[in-house]
Amino acid sequence: MKVFRAHILTCGGTGCNASGSEAVHRAVVQELITKNLTDEVSVVETGCNGFCAAGPIMVIYPEGTFYQYVKAEDVPEIIEEHIIKGRPVKRLMYKEPTSDQPIPHMLDIPFFGKQKLVALKNRGLIDAEKIDEYIAREGYMAAAKALTQMSQDEVIEEVKKSGLRGRGGGGFPTGMKWSFARKSAGDVKYILCNADEGDPGAFMDRSILEADPHAVLEGMIIGGYSIGANEGYIYCRAEYPLAIKRLNIAIEQAREYGLLGKNILGTDYSLDIHVYQGAGAFVCGEETALMNSIEGKRGMPRPRPPFPASKGLWQKPSVLNNVETYANISQIILNGGEWYASMGTERSKGTKVFALTGAVNNVGLVEVPMGTSIGDIIFDIGGGIRNGKQYKAAQLGGPSGGCIPAEALNTPTDYEEIIKLGAIMGSGGLIVMDEDTCMVDTAKFFMEFCQEESCGKCTPCREGTKRMLEILKRICHGEGRDGDIELLEDLAGIIKDSALCGLGQTAPNPVLSTIRYFRHEYEAHIYDKKCPAAVCSKLFKSPCQHACPIEMDIPAYIALIRANRLADAFKIMKKTNPFPGVCGRVCPQFCANKCRRGQLDEPMAIAWLKRYISDNAKRPKIDQAPVTRKEKVAVIGGGPAGLTAAQDLCMRGYKVTVFEELPYAGGMMRYAIPEYRMPRDIVEQEVSDIRALGVEIKTGTRIGKDISFDALRKDYDVIVIAVGAHKSWKLDIEGEDLAGVWGAVEFLREVNLGKKVNVGSKVAIVGGGNSAIDAARTAVRLGAKDVTILYRRERKDMPAWENEIQAAEHEGVKIEYLVAPTKLIGKNGKLVGVECQRMRLGEFDRSGRRKPVSIPGSEFTLAIDTIVPAISQNTDASFIPAGSDVTIDKWGGIKTTGKAKNKTTADNVFIAGDAASGPATVVEAIAMGHKTAADVDDFIRARNNEPAYRVPPEEEIEIPFEVDEEVIETPKGKMPELKKSERRITFKEVELGYSKKTAYKEACRCLRCDAEL
Amino acid sequence: MAKLTIDDLKKIKDRVEKEDQFRAGTKRIKLTVHMGTCGIASGAKEILDTFMGEVSENNVNDVLITTSGCIGICSREPLATIEEQGKEPIVYEYLNPNKARQIFKRHVMNGEVQMDFVMARGTEHDKKGVGK
Repeated sequence: MKVFRAHILTCGGTGCNASGSEAVHRAVVQELITKNLTDEVSVVETGCNGFCAAGPIMVIYPEGTFYQYVKAEDVPEIIEEHIIKGRPVKRLMYKEPTSDQPIPHMLDIPFFGKQKLVALKNRGLIDAEKIDEYIAREGYMAAAKALTQMSQDEVIEEVKKSGLRGRGGGGFPTGMKWSFARKSAGDVKYILCNADEGDPGAFMDRSILEADPHAVLEGMIIGGYSIGANEGYIYCRAEYPLAIKRLNIAIEQAREYGLLGKNILGTDYSLDIHVYQGAGAFVCGEETALMNSIEGKRGMPRPRPPFPASKGLWQKPSVLNNVETYANISQIILNGGEWYASMGTERSKGTKVFALTGAVNNVGLVEVPMGTSIGDIIFDIGGGIRNGKQYKAAQLGGPSGGCIPAEALNTPTDYEEIIKLGAIMGSGGLIVMDEDTCMVDTAKFFMEFCQEESCGKCTPCREGTKRMLEILKRICHGEGRDGDIELLEDLAGIIKDSALCGLGQTAPNPVLSTIRYFRHEYEAHIYDKKCPAAVCSKLFKSPCQHACPIEMDIPAYIALIRANRLADAFKIMKKTNPFPGVCGRVCPQFCANKCRRGQLDEPMAIAWLKRYISDNAKRPKIDQAPVTRKEKVAVIGGGPAGLTAAQDLCMRGYKVTVFEELPYAGGMMRYAIPEYRMPRDIVEQEVSDIRALGVEIKTGTRIGKDISFDALRKDYDVIVIAVGAHKSWKLDIEGEDLAGVWGAVEFLREVNLGKKVNVGSKVAIVGGGNSAIDAARTAVRLGAKDVTILYRRERKDMPAWENEIQAAEHEGVKIEYLVAPTKLIGKNGKLVGVECQRMRLGEFDRSGRRKPVSIPGSEFTLAIDTIVPAISQNTDASFIPAGSDVTIDKWGGIKTTGKAKNKTTADNVFIAGDAASGPATVVEAIAMGHKTAADVDDFIRARNNEPAYRVPPEEEIEIPFEVDEEVIETPKGKMPELKKSERRITFKEVELGYSKKTAYKEACRCLRCDAEL
Repeated sequence: MAKLTIDDLKKIKDRVEKEDQFRAGTKRIKLTVHMGTCGIASGAKEILDTFMGEVSENNVNDVLITTSGCIGICSREPLATIEEQGKEPIVYEYLNPNKARQIFKRHVMNGEVQMDFVMARGTEHDKKGVGK
């Protein structure tokens, strides 16, 4: 017998076979022949060993090495490394699962733990096709109780006591509805169930019918008994084949058991129920249209009154309730109306089922006590918004409902409270929308639905929805006109008042509610031709460019990287951005947030590509711009807004002087962003380009001290204030005058001015934004041993960028979440400690985040030498003399006017950047600088009765169009970084920039959304 | 079949409890595949077939395979619950046929809970006062 030195076992089980073990087996045999190893190594195909999900599996003896996810391509490497060289291939080796981690209990998962099941009490437990399983869970006991122990009126009384209201959306009290039908004269009455669930995004009824059909039948038996009906129909849409199948099985089984048919449970009461399949028209969910449809007529509504309780199906008294309403009945009869009424709010009792869908982590079916807030449903049960995006709104009530904006997340699920918001409870479809949803587009979607589903019987609905849809389409296509919003509101009012049935009366709701809460989005579409969510694609070339405040032509410069034409790429960037090197390092990338590549794997690394161009491109020579105009403009403040305005005005022929208090121009780019993120020569280079154009920059000159504001106004025709926001907010607690308390901006400025700042050994930073992180990482570099960030919310709420937070943690910065300082403790005038309080997250605030609330008695003290509040900044407006016609607002800032908020109360004094908008980003400051320069020019020309400025023709740069045939999932290119050991001690730039190869590969990931095909 | 009376309802309830092979102890394991439309759309039928296939392939006769509807968290379908005598149920999520095979081989046959695919243990019906 041959002796082999090694055995290779490949798995031949079903699972491994399905994932390709045969090919692996063949590859092993082939490779052994190629390598001439057939005499030394045997190959055996074994049966399944049970690790099917990790297959194909391979085991190599004598070592017993276990390989998983083996592909045929891996085989040569395994033979070469493992068999020949004796080195196991680590990357393919089986990893022990972490076995110690405890398994959470179902109720520990908020999705399940926070629900309360009544209508869904049997979900996941019973086999819907076996009546015995339903009976084993107390099924039909309620019907038995009602039929044998209760009179018809007692049943109705119990349902009235429960406070149950129609779950189909209207919310009409169920008990009252039943009592009307009971009182109606007539021998023949009908009990009907509305399972014509047609709202987009709603699936409550389907799920109940599929999981627990007998619960609905039992509810109908009880209801039928109470009004005296002997026949019933379930009107279910044909698109629900599984629900219909299970319903029919359930009805058949119930008939066999005598739970339907003559003399139910041996009593005098008889009832039979039929399923009627609807063809799927939305209007057939309206009760009178539904009845017409069962009668074999066209599904069109008829005027009410008469109401169905007196003249319903075939003109006989009828009760129509929705699936979920019936599913509650058996529990009410068994446990009593009072039990049911003990849940919920004053006027909305019991529980409600919601179908939670859209941009939420947990999509599914949810049953909660009435009164649970919408925010709790979305954020606790739903697990929050997918992909870490921001919540924008939730549509409640489908096409008949409205949206719930972030500021209303605390609203309880209560019929009346929800109506106050302009939405309706509806049947319970809850569609969650994130920041990438355009509200005008959403309104258009629902209007399109209603217009298509309008039955055409009444004019307001048939014509009105069509006209409203036309207007909405126009707005989304960039053809919106002044007055469109008002016209929509007018039409909506008329349709609501005059349409025949609920479909028409509620069809305008989504439009009205989006106008109510998101009017600014309509205005952006109509007046600025912008879609803030970058959805309405008729309005732009590419979403990234549209999302950029200065509309940089991103696809163009990325294409030019691919073509290795960096000089041209640089020119493209400079057309709109005087600071590409700065933005390439610190831009928050509104563009990448809308990048379509992000829907596939990761968004493009747009800023890093921008940086690559600016670091590597050959720069064009800059010629001085000729002065062609007599007016002179002074800009106060040499930050991004002021310098951009100065550059633009200079290029339009004005003589411009910038006055800067500090020794260098650059503003926050130079004095707030630390050097390890923003090397000084980058700012200086880009400032010098502006100087080269002919802008005069006077540094070391403070207006209000070296030159008075009034004197400046005498010398210049127009002033642009761009002084930024360089005064840190105070914490507003005891002890802020102690030595060792620094504002973040002041702290960073001192360091960046090159002054010696003694931070001591223990530093606390207060805040969660980028400047808090900047201050923390700077303190580390200044030698602090212990740097702690105190933040009052949770990590996911921090406005700072994730990669900055991680970098800080790598450098040893600690972050304490849910903590707020309450008192600063001093000794001999010097800070020695901070008293803090723990916080918990309470209700939602207007931003849609949970508000931190302090926990009494949770105080603790940290010993520190330095504390740096980094919570926000405001403008130092002290250079404006008292009584100036440039007015100060009530918060001590400069009062802004005009639509763009870039004018002051004085005619010839404009304002831009943080001083106008409050703390923002470099790219937003640049955008405002451009806008203000254009407005200054317009103002001067209008004053002189001159024609408006005409943009001179620009150099044409041809943009190549080259894309990969096939898109393969690839994450974005990694940014090389400075070694950790060097980081803690120097201010050298941490991010080292892309190599040519990485930049090229990254550029190839662009999907070129700008291409017109 | 004869018409039921109220007493019959109670008898059925008792009988189901007695005859439930899992509760009565004749089956060691009850395996429920959740098959609402959401589950089926994500592949629950394939999962059910896989489990059935494993039962016959391995000649297992102490496992009861059954189905039920959606348990609510549709985004994690396909889901299956495994109940073993005397132990808390285990719910598995995001199943595919190979995961199902592995769960059958390792958990059902060998008693090793497959941590990588577990969503939770217990049932949401453990909650006090559900339906009461």
